[in-house]
Amino acid sequence: MRRTIKLWTEMIGLSWRRVPGLTVLAILSLVVRVAGVAGGAFALRAAVDEATRGVADAAVLAAIGAAIAYALLIVVQEITDSLTLTIADRVGRLDVHPRIHRDLAGLEGLEHLERTEFLDRITLVRKAGGRLAGGAWNGLKTIAGILNLVIVLLLLGSISPWLLLLLPFAAVPIWCDSRGNAAVQRADLATAEQYRLQQHLFELGTGTAPGKELRVSGAGRALVELQHEAWRTAMGVRLRATVRSGAWSLVGWTVFVAAFVGGILLSVRQTANGHGTAGDLVLLVTVAVTLRASIQSTVESTTTAAGARQYIAPYLWLRDYADQARSERAGQAVPPAVLSEGIVLDHVTYTYPGTHAKAVDDVSVTLPAGSVVAIVGEYGSGKTTLVKLLEKFYRPDSGQILVDSVPLSDVDTEQWRTRSTAAFQDFGRFHTTVRENVGLGDLAALADEDRVRRALAEADAADLVEQLPDGLDTLLGRQLGGLDLSEGQWQRTALARASMRTDPLLLILDEPTASLDAPSEQAIFERYMARARQLAERTKAITVIVSHRFSTVTGADLILVLDRGRLTELGTHAELLRMGGTYAELYRIQATAYQVG
Amino acid sequence: MLDSFDMNPMEWRFCVREAGVMKLLADRLTLLRALRGARPALVVALALVLVAGACVPGFMAIALGWTVSRLQDSESSNVLAASVLPVIVLGLVVLAGHVADAFAKPIEFAVRAQIDGGHRRDILRLTTGSSSVAPLEDAEVQGLIRRAGAEPDYGVTTPADGALVQLRWFAGLIGVGVACAVLANYRWWLVPVLLIPAVIGLALRTRQYFAAVKALESAMREELHADVWRNAAASAGSGKDVRVFGFADWMIARMQRHIEDGNMPFWSHIGRISGQSWRQFLLVLAGLLPAYTLVSRDAAIDVTTVSVQTSVLVAAWTVFLAIGTGEMVYQMVGAVGVLEAYASLKARLTADVAEPAKVTTERADERPPLVRFEDVRFGYPGVSRVVLDGLNLEIKPGELLALVGLNGAGKSTLIKLLSGLYEPTGGRITADGVPIDAVGWDAWRSRLSVVFQDFNRYELSAADNVVLGYAHRPADLSAADVAAERAGFGPVLQRLPQGWQTVLSRNRRGGVDLSGGQWQQLVLTRALYAVQSGARLLVLDEPTAHLDVRTEFEVFSRLAEQRGDTSVVLISHRLSTVRQADRIVLLENGAITEMGDHGELMALNGTYARLFRIQGERFQNDTESTS
Repeated sequence: MRRTIKLWTEMIGLSWRRVPGLTVLAILSLVVRVAGVAGGAFALRAAVDEATRGVADAAVLAAIGAAIAYALLIVVQEITDSLTLTIADRVGRLDVHPRIHRDLAGLEGLEHLERTEFLDRITLVRKAGGRLAGGAWNGLKTIAGILNLVIVLLLLGSISPWLLLLLPFAAVPIWCDSRGNAAVQRADLATAEQYRLQQHLFELGTGTAPGKELRVSGAGRALVELQHEAWRTAMGVRLRATVRSGAWSLVGWTVFVAAFVGGILLSVRQTANGHGTAGDLVLLVTVAVTLRASIQSTVESTTTAAGARQYIAPYLWLRDYADQARSERAGQAVPPAVLSEGIVLDHVTYTYPGTHAKAVDDVSVTLPAGSVVAIVGEYGSGKTTLVKLLEKFYRPDSGQILVDSVPLSDVDTEQWRTRSTAAFQDFGRFHTTVRENVGLGDLAALADEDRVRRALAEADAADLVEQLPDGLDTLLGRQLGGLDLSEGQWQRTALARASMRTDPLLLILDEPTASLDAPSEQAIFERYMARARQLAERTKAITVIVSHRFSTVTGADLILVLDRGRLTELGTHAELLRMGGTYAELYRIQATAYQVG
Repeated sequence: MLDSFDMNPMEWRFCVREAGVMKLLADRLTLLRALRGARPALVVALALVLVAGACVPGFMAIALGWTVSRLQDSESSNVLAASVLPVIVLGLVVLAGHVADAFAKPIEFAVRAQIDGGHRRDILRLTTGSSSVAPLEDAEVQGLIRRAGAEPDYGVTTPADGALVQLRWFAGLIGVGVACAVLANYRWWLVPVLLIPAVIGLALRTRQYFAAVKALESAMREELHADVWRNAAASAGSGKDVRVFGFADWMIARMQRHIEDGNMPFWSHIGRISGQSWRQFLLVLAGLLPAYTLVSRDAAIDVTTVSVQTSVLVAAWTVFLAIGTGEMVYQMVGAVGVLEAYASLKARLTADVAEPAKVTTERADERPPLVRFEDVRFGYPGVSRVVLDGLNLEIKPGELLALVGLNGAGKSTLIKLLSGLYEPTGGRITADGVPIDAVGWDAWRSRLSVVFQDFNRYELSAADNVVLGYAHRPADLSAADVAAERAGFGPVLQRLPQGWQTVLSRNRRGGVDLSGGQWQQLVLTRALYAVQSGARLLVLDEPTAHLDVRTEFEVFSRLAEQRGDTSVVLISHRLSTVRQADRIVLLENGAITEMGDHGELMALNGTYARLFRIQGERFQNDTESTS
């Protein structure tokens, strides 16, 4: 709770810094809402009482006051919500949103993006921006609403202390409305899954790529039905909750109105006894009527604020997680300008959190400086995990990785990565210009057209750019009005990106040519071997190629064969063939398939 | 437009204003028409409840005036007795307001769910209903879908929002009527004094919100650009690029620029509207001030009664409340935009349907068809390059045909034409001599099964994921079992916590994610299920790109065994798998340039032989040197 209040204070502070004018206006309108109800009711009473007494000037003066108060109230009622929503939207999108994504993208490791239990929180966090700021403003609205109720109470007390008895009766509709609202909110949460399913199916049914399969398989109609069913299931549950909430509200207000009629009769009796006035009656009725509006909006802002709290826990978790990760950043060492010995894996073991099998199991091997190393193995044998360890995406559970005898964990992560480059199997397909897709491989050279073009040539993609309507500046991604690339073309952009850096110590190619045709594969492969040799001369860089296509690894200096996380075979192509183990067997499967005959 | 030059400026302005008014009226009708999406009984009930609720403030003013008059007229001894009836009536009126509200909410919810649910279903029917997939690939159509889709979760106004607000507004007008009657009872001219500023205020807000809603378009566009980086920040795949190349900060800055640029116009509109609310204040004051001061003075000097004063004080305020708030205007304007987008979408998509006359094919389709591409030409709309240029090809019943070619040679395009997702710009495709567009798309596609490279991953059960692969017949789980068995999906299925019923998405409770390889096996199951259920031509577009050697080998052996008499068209870059095909065709420069079995093509020593040798080269060198 204390952290919630602190967070809300922070949000209001952010609002003030982001939009001071609107923030003041919003707070002002909340104040007017509190004071206006009392002021207007008072002025009305005065107008009626003075008229009864026959004092024209005073009656007119009071009437002017009432007109001003009600005009203010009408305006304020209209703008308060849109003001607070806009402020929350702006702060959410411009302040909270970047902070969340900076934390997500800035963390060194990848675990938070891969582990199931984290992903659920992250799904929530990513939607949190406007809701967190909105929660804070709804908190303020709740306070204003409570103040409003207190003032109304005092007003009633000013007519007769007996009327204070209306207050416990006012608590009945408050209680009932909160109950109803809570039921509605529970129903929203309970049906969130069906609702998301409905969204997912809608997106499938309206998307370009899924549309192909839907048409051929004739699943379009089934999809429409499934989507509608999910929608109706979700809405059915929500409707029942709304009906219940309506019933609660009705009960609560019936009780209150009964008490209210009693209250009026009480004040009528007072009037008869000469204590009260017609103005009191007017006051009572206007107050009772506005009471409903203020109770309802208070209850609503309270539940909305409470609803925002489901985003607070994951948000604070992410903050803590990121802070902790930053403080744990121990590495200070600078990677060498040129590798001298190489990279040594010393009994490296890694298990993905939440799983049992070791993804990398006690692997010890030396990757000599300046060598081309291939990692082969079947599906799920730990090839990709191994290269991810080299990029410091995870820390080994035990054992260590040494770069020229310096533990990799002591090396500054950012600097280490600056001296490496990679094309991963599930590389990023950024829907932006071709230039940026490639140039991001070396931010400093993003504007350097020559470098970008050279990198594209390395990936055998120079022709591809020639064919694009706007060359390097062609926007990719049809949804944005750009162009769609084929799988193979995307892969070339990833390879080009990996070719941007000029002095890496480590070059990782994870299944680099899976979607390419034979000549492109051949061309790219030859270029990369040449580049690996060049880099080896320049910085003694190590090139690591992960592949299940054996034709691409025969030329490597060292081949690692992984099986369920363990390093089972190690050597050059010729050595491994002689050994007659798994490598030799898998190689023969492919070799036979390519035998001419 | 040309005619307008002949008009004098006055006439021209009149026309514009009239067009504006006509548009406003048409918009009201559009919104009311959206109510047809809900059950009529519900809509009528809602209308009654809303009208009742809207009349409450007016009647309350009357009841209050009545109570006060009883209070004033009676002798102090029997005041209480005289007031009981009016006070109870007053209480009942207040209660009626609560009752109306308590009923309105659930009914409104039901109506909303029906209208919006129906609206979304209509859109889905449109987007899944066109025979060709071409219109969906149009960026403009995708834009229309996004706008018409009005995803309620994104805080966008939906058609139901607009329709309900419209209904509420009409009900509110009746409330205004009651309030005006109270006023007219005192001084008739107070009605225009109050109504005119109220209407001016409404008109001003309408204009302001119109502009604000327009400004939302840029927000939607830029947010799509921001999505690129937003998703990159939260994805494990792109996340590796972000980290290795260290562009997290650059990316966030870019994302925020899109967000700020896109939303700023809308935000500044809302800011301006709030800042200009003093105008609204003055307008309300201009109406209330004369009414309030006049009636209070009159009551003080006994020109009228305090009772009349009381009811006028309450009623005057009601006029401004009931005439409509800015939020109502905003929702109406937003919803009209959504419905207009839907209308354009409908026009675009139904124009493309053009369902040809159906030739009912008898169930002779147990045999695989003989498919013929005759001089087929094709180029994508808006792109000058010709992809297929006079292509001739025969797919014989029951054969395993491999289609090879370089990246971008048009292999996938050929598949799209074969399945009718695009229509050739020249030439024709026939099945057993009948042009496929004359067979009727449903009938033709029921004989096909295509595994696309980017196959669909439904966040549904494993069973649904398989049976949706062939929805031309009712789902048949025993056929799914057989298919799973044949595709080697059995072991995966056994490990799933709820077997076939396991949901294949981590987004859902109890759901699991399959790995890339497991998905590929599921998709093969999907394809074999289609074959089981009646598909006689199976097309596989790079089905094994991400499988390892052994699995790939197994999959193909299985496929070759299990296909029975079904024709198979296989697209692959891996020539080692392709060589098993009965026939191999090479697609080059938009036409078939080589054709034959592996041996023949190798003997021909053309492009295929060259491609094969490139891939096999290292193996050749090696097998020669080691064996």
